[in-house]
Amino acid sequence: MLTYQDVGLSAREDQEIVRLLGRRPNELELGLFGALWSEHCSYKSSKNLLAQLPHQGQFVVQGPGGNAGVVQLSADWDIAFKIESHNHPSFVEPLQGAATGVGGILRDIVAMGARPIAIADILKFGTDEKAPGLLHRVVEGIGAYGNAIGIPNVTGSLGFSAVYDANPLVNVLAVGMRRHGLHVGADGARPESVLILIGQGTGRDGIHGASLLASQDFGAETEEMRPTVQVGDPFMGKLLMEATLAIVDQGLADAVQDLGAAGLTSSTAELAYASSVGVVVDVSKVICREQNMNPYEIMLSETQERMLLSVPKKNLAAVLEILTWYEVPYAEIGRVVAGDFLRVVAESQVLAELPTSVLVGGCPRLPVTHDVWIWDGDQPAALEKTRLELTWGYQVIGHPDCRDRSSVYQRYDSMIGLRTVWGPEHDVAVMHIEKGSPGLCVAVTAPARWAALDSYAGGIGAVAAALSLVATQGAVPLGITDGINAGNPEKSEPHRKMAALIQGIGKAAEIFEVPVTGGNVSLHNETEGQAIWPTAAIGVVARHPNPEQPIADAPPYAGTRILVLNPPGKPDLGGSVLAEILGHPGSYPVLDVGAIQHSLHFLAEIISQAKNVGLLACRAVGIGGLFVAVAKSLITKTPMALGAHLVLAEDADARFVFNEMAGQWVLFVEPDFKPFWDQVFETHGVSVIDIGLVTDSPELMITAGRAITWPLIDLWRAYRKGGVRDVR
Amino acid sequence: MNNDLSVGIVVFPGSNCDHDTIAAISSLGAKPVVLDYRLHSLPVLDRVILPGGFSYGDYLRSGALAAAAPIMDAVEQAAADGLPVLGICNGFQILCERGLLPGTLLPNPSGEFICQWQAVRVASESPLFTGLDQGRVLRLPIAHHEGSYRVAQGQLAELFERGQIFLQYSDAEGQLHGLTNPNGSVANIAGVQNRNVVGLMPHPERAMAAYLGSRDGWDLLASWLGMGENAVC
Amino acid sequence: MTQFRLTFLVGLKEGILDPAGQATRNVLQNMGYQADDVRIGKWIQVVVSAKTEDQALTIGQEIGQRLLSNPVMEYFEVTVQAYE
Repeated sequence: MLTYQDVGLSAREDQEIVRLLGRRPNELELGLFGALWSEHCSYKSSKNLLAQLPHQGQFVVQGPGGNAGVVQLSADWDIAFKIESHNHPSFVEPLQGAATGVGGILRDIVAMGARPIAIADILKFGTDEKAPGLLHRVVEGIGAYGNAIGIPNVTGSLGFSAVYDANPLVNVLAVGMRRHGLHVGADGARPESVLILIGQGTGRDGIHGASLLASQDFGAETEEMRPTVQVGDPFMGKLLMEATLAIVDQGLADAVQDLGAAGLTSSTAELAYASSVGVVVDVSKVICREQNMNPYEIMLSETQERMLLSVPKKNLAAVLEILTWYEVPYAEIGRVVAGDFLRVVAESQVLAELPTSVLVGGCPRLPVTHDVWIWDGDQPAALEKTRLELTWGYQVIGHPDCRDRSSVYQRYDSMIGLRTVWGPEHDVAVMHIEKGSPGLCVAVTAPARWAALDSYAGGIGAVAAALSLVATQGAVPLGITDGINAGNPEKSEPHRKMAALIQGIGKAAEIFEVPVTGGNVSLHNETEGQAIWPTAAIGVVARHPNPEQPIADAPPYAGTRILVLNPPGKPDLGGSVLAEILGHPGSYPVLDVGAIQHSLHFLAEIISQAKNVGLLACRAVGIGGLFVAVAKSLITKTPMALGAHLVLAEDADARFVFNEMAGQWVLFVEPDFKPFWDQVFETHGVSVIDIGLVTDSPELMITAGRAITWPLIDLWRAYRKGGVRDVR
Repeated sequence: MNNDLSVGIVVFPGSNCDHDTIAAISSLGAKPVVLDYRLHSLPVLDRVILPGGFSYGDYLRSGALAAAAPIMDAVEQAAADGLPVLGICNGFQILCERGLLPGTLLPNPSGEFICQWQAVRVASESPLFTGLDQGRVLRLPIAHHEGSYRVAQGQLAELFERGQIFLQYSDAEGQLHGLTNPNGSVANIAGVQNRNVVGLMPHPERAMAAYLGSRDGWDLLASWLGMGENAVC
Repeated sequence: MTQFRLTFLVGLKEGILDPAGQATRNVLQNMGYQADDVRIGKWIQVVVSAKTEDQALTIGQEIGQRLLSNPVMEYFEVTVQAYE
């Protein structure tokens, strides 16, 4: 007899099921509950927290709850976008885990009726001997899927820390476009429609613990635990994508839902719940890839490359014709009926029948904790006045978190689709949409170190950093998506840290007036009691005013003035790369969000008239601080002919140069426009300081009392290969 | 403009550069005609392109499964009858697998996919590419996992003698050396021709506008369409 | 020490999806062959030195497990013969 423990439920949840149903569930029903009331499907630990994030905004077409958020880009086009994680599968089988992560988020976008136009990857790895191999195979997997299905990988984020040794993070953002006004989702299914399951034949892949259960309780005979690894098939993914988009373009389906976690169970139940209808699923009609699959396995299989369509009868012939044309396997597996239940049958025999209000909507959620995590141990000693050192420049730019990423992104096709104006060699991606249309700016950040001690400040910083990136292009942010990664939510500390992180994100989103339109939560990133840092991957999509001519991120000629917009009044190294190198990680400072918001508005206004104010180039300060922002502007140019001389106040020290407080920008302006910039505080109320000028000598010199000089070729070597040993 | 020129673009299951190629051909003023891989004969056409991508997921060997598709009988016949055929990236692999071009494309020595901007030099003037002078250097993207061009022992000299080597990986000045060879191709070969059939690894259809990083693909495709310098924006 | 030739066949475990095999099967069917199933794997030869054939086979089992196959999703078979 299957028990609630066998399917991962608690005694309280089991009692709740009995109370809500008014009876005990049978074994199959219990299995369905186990899947849908799991953390992964129900978000029971985070849903109430996520509900507090601001979801409304002027450009929001669809907020959280669907397969992806949708925002309006232009009169003609909407953008669907979301971050999804595939952390655990990528640790078990890095290549296939990462590949299926890409496939899964792309299907989410397609299920919204949008054609995917870009992906971005946000990765965190450990520092042990296993990490390089894991990274290599994860990148192979992301590339294998993205390259083959033909969606460009346009930007990304990669970071390292020992806290990810046994829990690497693989988060993927996907972005798609669809005609404005087209409504596609899981919520339109109407009674009388036919349910069609399309794509890959269902196998026993990814049934996790459930396959063990199956062999115990449903009479399977195998001795060894069945392989549960899901294999990605980008070829089938491509056919499935084209067929689905052809069907939705012609308005032939009333609802679309991809199959992800908990496979057929979650897709049918969620479609029914979202559409306020009942569904009848006949497991005997499902095309199986393996012999003798029982109903439990069929309902819970996580075979990839499958999609569920709800098709009105009158459209059935046209849909089947499209599926045949694209050679996508399909089966009519059930029908939509009036009601509010999921009924599982095998021909005429009813195997399970559950109200979706209980199955999908009934899972008890953890209440919101206001007892959020704040650092209450010994306050780590803040770094006192710290004289700038030559080696720090090399150590910081050569730190794994700052280093050149070409060895990763050159393994991804970043150019297919003819939209990539700026790809992964820049800090932010710029995408072309069509002639005369605004473009799309896409940026991701995941500054994990910032959230390590003060998760609330780190959450604010992550959002500020993402918005700072798109602001360099004068792009208008339309929405953000958040990928939350944290430890075991049943323990107090990880849960309070997650709560703090989400509240920080919410606070920033509220102040900066950018809605969070959806995202993903991955919990239990914890091994042997060691939890990861609470890590927020933030993706932002923004409307680019002039995608054919992005504002440069490097100065064009010697003599250009170098300014800093919104330098912090009290620069703080907390959470920075340098602080880690010096062994004083510190706590990330709480930012002056008002000043940042003001600067964001200023940039949006000023970049639209960049030529009139002599603004030649702009780069956001991020990981590695001002030093790395200036250095990258010089060393990523070919040839490396331009240098810079920064002249700082006598008392300016390492804190000014290496702090990572989000919401600062390096501006490169024409010298003739100095009067405008000298008075910008009076005229626009933003703080700007002049820190030096671009030279024609290939070195970075900083004078703050004494002068220190970094030849660019040495910085470049450290940037490319890392480490200070290589250069001096 | 050459509105009368019709260019067939063969779409195999898994082809993914077909949209880009159609857009490029349209922007040049020619008429793209989508050709499904199940066709047994071709309509009347002036040119045929096998676009890039991952036909059949690149499974078994890149290009091998597509080379067995029904339409390839018709393409082979048309090529024999003199129809100009251009294979780009995966299209090049398919033409090699089919035996319409000499040689084969092996996995990159790194074992990794590579996507980057690459300078390529026109190795020999070709009647198929009017106005594209020998020595001209083009900046084009490459994006492939199997791009290492190899020929049978002793065949290389013959290919050079017959002027069948069309493009070579080079530096921006057109110099050929090991450092400019991204994938270990023999003699830096990036494109070959066999009478009216051409294959190349770089993607000209991705280099059609300055904002995308280069407009050299425009020049190459315009030349192949016989528009030479007369192509209009 | 004698040299032995180990021959490995590495394939996907039963139940693991083989997209390449599936696509190849479909093309064979389109070509008119009655191909009902295709599974694609690897063939690997390794020459090792060992005292006896049994010891060579033990080495083969070990390297098959530790490197040549991915135990999460692949199985392997190894055979041994004298290497001339």
